[in-house]
Amino acid sequence: MAAQRPNVSSDLIWQVTRTQNAFHVKRNSAGGSQFSRDPLNVLGKHSFKYSGYANEKAIGVQATENGGVAIITKKPSSEQKPAQSFVTVTFGPNASTRKIYKNIADKTAKNGYRADIREQAISRASAIRRSQRSKKDTAPQKLRGAAAKKAAEKESA
Amino acid sequence: MASRPTVSVATAEGKPSGATLTLPAVFLSPIRPDIVQHVHTGIAKNKRQPYAVSEKAGEQTSAESWGTGRAVARIPRVSGGGTHRAGQAAFGNQCRSGRMFAPTKVWRKWHQKVNQGQRRFATASALAASSVPSLLFARGHRVANVPEVPLVVESKTFENAALTKTKAAIALLKAVGAGADLVKVQKSRKMRAGKGKLRNRRFRQRRGPLVIYNPETDGKELVRAFRNIPGVETSSVFSMNLLQLAPGGHLGRFIVWTSSAFSALDQVYGTTTTASALKKDFLLPSNMVANADIARLINSSEIQSVLREPKGEARTKRAQVQKKNPLRNKQVMLRLNPYAAVYSKEKLGQKAAEHSKPVRPSEIFRQTLAEE
Repeated sequence: MAAQRPNVSSDLIWQVTRTQNAFHVKRNSAGGSQFSRDPLNVLGKHSFKYSGYANEKAIGVQATENGGVAIITKKPSSEQKPAQSFVTVTFGPNASTRKIYKNIADKTAKNGYRADIREQAISRASAIRRSQRSKKDTAPQKLRGAAAKKAAEKESA
Repeated sequence: MASRPTVSVATAEGKPSGATLTLPAVFLSPIRPDIVQHVHTGIAKNKRQPYAVSEKAGEQTSAESWGTGRAVARIPRVSGGGTHRAGQAAFGNQCRSGRMFAPTKVWRKWHQKVNQGQRRFATASALAASSVPSLLFARGHRVANVPEVPLVVESKTFENAALTKTKAAIALLKAVGAGADLVKVQKSRKMRAGKGKLRNRRFRQRRGPLVIYNPETDGKELVRAFRNIPGVETSSVFSMNLLQLAPGGHLGRFIVWTSSAFSALDQVYGTTTTASALKKDFLLPSNMVANADIARLINSSEIQSVLREPKGEARTKRAQVQKKNPLRNKQVMLRLNPYAAVYSKEKLGQKAAEHSKPVRPSEIFRQTLAEE
């Protein structure tokens, strides 16, 4: 952030936008919870640590339309050039989850990127994969007891 | 200010033209949401038109109080008979068809004076914020495809009435990566809730990009090209308005600059040390700190090397903790009663008393007791 502008910093941006921003979701119900719709917010939580726009390094994990997972990171060096500052890696629906986790872990924890949100990023990917699994039909109930079997036979006959 | 960063100029196709401009000093002025919000609330009031209820409303009867003794309240009552209205209370704000409480007057103070220094500070601050991509995102602008912020487009695109058609203007905005913001505006168009619908404010919609041009070189034809695109506004670089630069008092409006407007900024605002050429007695506000990244300052080796070690031990005992039952928790018991260790080790709790049966008192004792 501060690479180019001496008058701007991540903390300042958060202080300016903390009370209101386009991603902020506030509800009076459920104890006044505050969430964030920021695609680069890995927990969906309204806080400086997880905010994607205020931090110069952030990771976003999103489900893609075809059932895969997209991982978005920010390049701090091209802060002023939004078109170049986002790096997206997409995994198809058949990619192994372990590969995805490995990729996220490498992206966050290696090279001093954002080791503090590695766990949350991986668990988000895991939750997305779980939600994308097709649901199994519940198995038909087995008949219990001789009386029930007899009744079923009678009905079919 | 050692060296100011440069900004590349984009062509009408959104490609870098190769030309670069030095970042005008106004973009390095302090970002102060408090000042911007305060000034915004002030100047937002200056476009209001007076309204009031009719002077006569609720006062158009010849009602008089009946005085005491008629077992009714002493409020003025409509005189006469032969109609329902006769005898009804009038005038008071609590009365049906009475006048309102404290009737509104057209001579209310509608406008507010905001000091010129504050207005200029707020505008400079809003301009500085418009060059921070994070603040644009936080304001809701879709700028992910914009090549660079601040976005500067060659003035060649506009000169000599080169851009007069809205179709061309839309194509230009799309080419420079502002297309997503236009889509956002179009999708946001909603019917306004309430009476505003009847008062020529039927729809609400988001704000899109603001195009700032230099009328001296770019001409004014581009205004007509842009004015029918939903959400897009235009402004001359010589008369910028805080209501457009920070709508709602929220910093970070997405601005599309023409290159001549961008290079005119140093002339309009000057720097922190050289006075503005166009504004009388104006120097750009200076930052309180040379580096706004306080966390980086604190963590710098210069600061860390002169700091004292933290006092106390690495782990400190917490004073206020949950109360534990010493009868169940052995460690808590030992803290309270060090003898408990011996007690349990020797299994004193399980041991029977040493003298199981009391010794019978001697015969002489019994006799002495029974003497009387």
